[in-house]
Amino acid sequence: MARDLIRRYGIASVFVSTAFVCTLFLQRFFPYPFLFLFFAAVMASAWFAGTGAGFFAVLVSTPVVAYFFVPPYYSWAITPTAVSYFAAFVVCALVVSWVSSARRSTEEALRDARDQLEIRVSERTAALMRTQTELARLSRVLSMGELTASIAHEISQPLTAVVTHGQACLEWLSGSPPNLEKARLSTESIVRDGTRAGAVIARVRALFRKEAPVKDWTDMNEVIHELTVFLRNEANARQTSVRTELSPALPKVKADRVQLQQVVMNLILNGMDAMSGPDARAKELVIRSRREKEDQVLIAVEDSGAGLDPETAEKIFDPFFTTKPHGIGVGLSISRSIIESHRGRLWAMPRPSGGTVFQFTLPISAEDSDG
Amino acid sequence: MADARPTIFVVDDDASVREAVSNLLESVGFDAQAFSSTEGFRNAARPDAPSCLVLDIKLPGANGLDFQEVLARAGISIPIVFITAHGDVPMTSRAMKAGAVEFLMKPFQKEDLLAAIHQAVERDRVGRQQDAEIAVLRSRFDELTVREREVMDLVVEGLTNKEVAEKLTISEVTTKMHRGQVMRKMMAPSLADLVRMSDKLKTRDRG
Repeated sequence: MARDLIRRYGIASVFVSTAFVCTLFLQRFFPYPFLFLFFAAVMASAWFAGTGAGFFAVLVSTPVVAYFFVPPYYSWAITPTAVSYFAAFVVCALVVSWVSSARRSTEEALRDARDQLEIRVSERTAALMRTQTELARLSRVLSMGELTASIAHEISQPLTAVVTHGQACLEWLSGSPPNLEKARLSTESIVRDGTRAGAVIARVRALFRKEAPVKDWTDMNEVIHELTVFLRNEANARQTSVRTELSPALPKVKADRVQLQQVVMNLILNGMDAMSGPDARAKELVIRSRREKEDQVLIAVEDSGAGLDPETAEKIFDPFFTTKPHGIGVGLSISRSIIESHRGRLWAMPRPSGGTVFQFTLPISAEDSDG
Repeated sequence: MADARPTIFVVDDDASVREAVSNLLESVGFDAQAFSSTEGFRNAARPDAPSCLVLDIKLPGANGLDFQEVLARAGISIPIVFITAHGDVPMTSRAMKAGAVEFLMKPFQKEDLLAAIHQAVERDRVGRQQDAEIAVLRSRFDELTVREREVMDLVVEGLTNKEVAEKLTISEVTTKMHRGQVMRKMMAPSLADLVRMSDKLKTRDRG
């Protein structure tokens, strides 16, 4: 504190001394002393060391100017004609000091405000990201809700098989003599089908997972394949055929598997919804993957639905825009933000043979932001 | 023929369930034939023995309920036991109205499945007996001349020989002769038997 005080008044003293020496020097060449250097010293003191230092500079300058630069020179006395001249100096010095320090504090307030603003923006951004992650999970849960029937089917199939094999096993064992070979085969089937039911549950849980995004090397073909298996029953129920044309040499991408699963699932479910109308067209969904332009992977989901009119096509990626009676309109906007956070691009275009193609690209390179 | 070992057809696109149901059926002594699709079932040769169909509702292509209609329209009568992972009331009532024996939810109990299958097989056995009986009657009926059929139709309605003769504008003697031929060819011991036979021939189509 005291050290700071000394520093501030030290700065003021140095400025005033410099002004004094320079003015003394200039006085040799000009008949009238130039006092502007003292104003500069006051201004600089107020600017760099604060209001107090500014007034201190005025305080020090005043006697110096009175003694050295106000006639009669080298005397404390002031001639009557020089009184106004001296008074003007003092007033001007005070005003300069005040203006300079006021200006300075305004500037500081402005900088503080800007810093504050920056902090708040980054806080809000973080909150927004959290909300978005939560919303993404919610939409995942919602689309899973739509799939409840499919999930129930997926789980109850192997479970039925387990129960039934178990009952058959008991029958084989209760015969006389018991058929041990058949009983053993039944038990093997129980183990296999039980494992399958467990795998289904693990898959469902992975889709419901509530975790921060984790980017890892991901094989998009694998993601697509898993989803087609998972959505097979849904496709059957909607009498939709799902075909995949996956490039066998697709490079892996650094990506959050669960998020991309969600994007592909959204696109598949959207495609199925687009074909749910009563028209007699064959309901066919095609999922393609290929390498694009050396450094990208492209995934496309094509439906043979009615297609999008240009007006709708512009809005489908807007949040809360939906064409479905029970949709909330977040699927595509979330999908797009997920793809963009992977530095990729998601867009829709008409399919030449009728319907719509939704496709997205993902960069192959490892260098990636955590966004 | 009707006492041959029953064959149970299983159609389910899920291999695990298909295998499990076949395994259970074999363990209790049925012949089981499993198919992954309705096409597979339609193309398979069906033995001339009581049988029934255990059919999954959710199938690729046509669903089980639609296939039930397809079979009915094609005149293929086989009792159906539906199995499904998630049935609802409309589905159940549609299936039952269309003549399904039972509608079971997965995972089902062995007792329920076997009871339904026994019931279905029994229904098929009775149906087959009736069919066989009608087939015999039909072949006898086919032996009758046009005139004899006319006489038979009127006789079973309770008309006397005289009334029949008048209606057909033939003599009573000729009528008696035709009537005798009808009784002989149809192997009917009495008029009451002939009436029953005629009824059976008329209600040929069973559910």
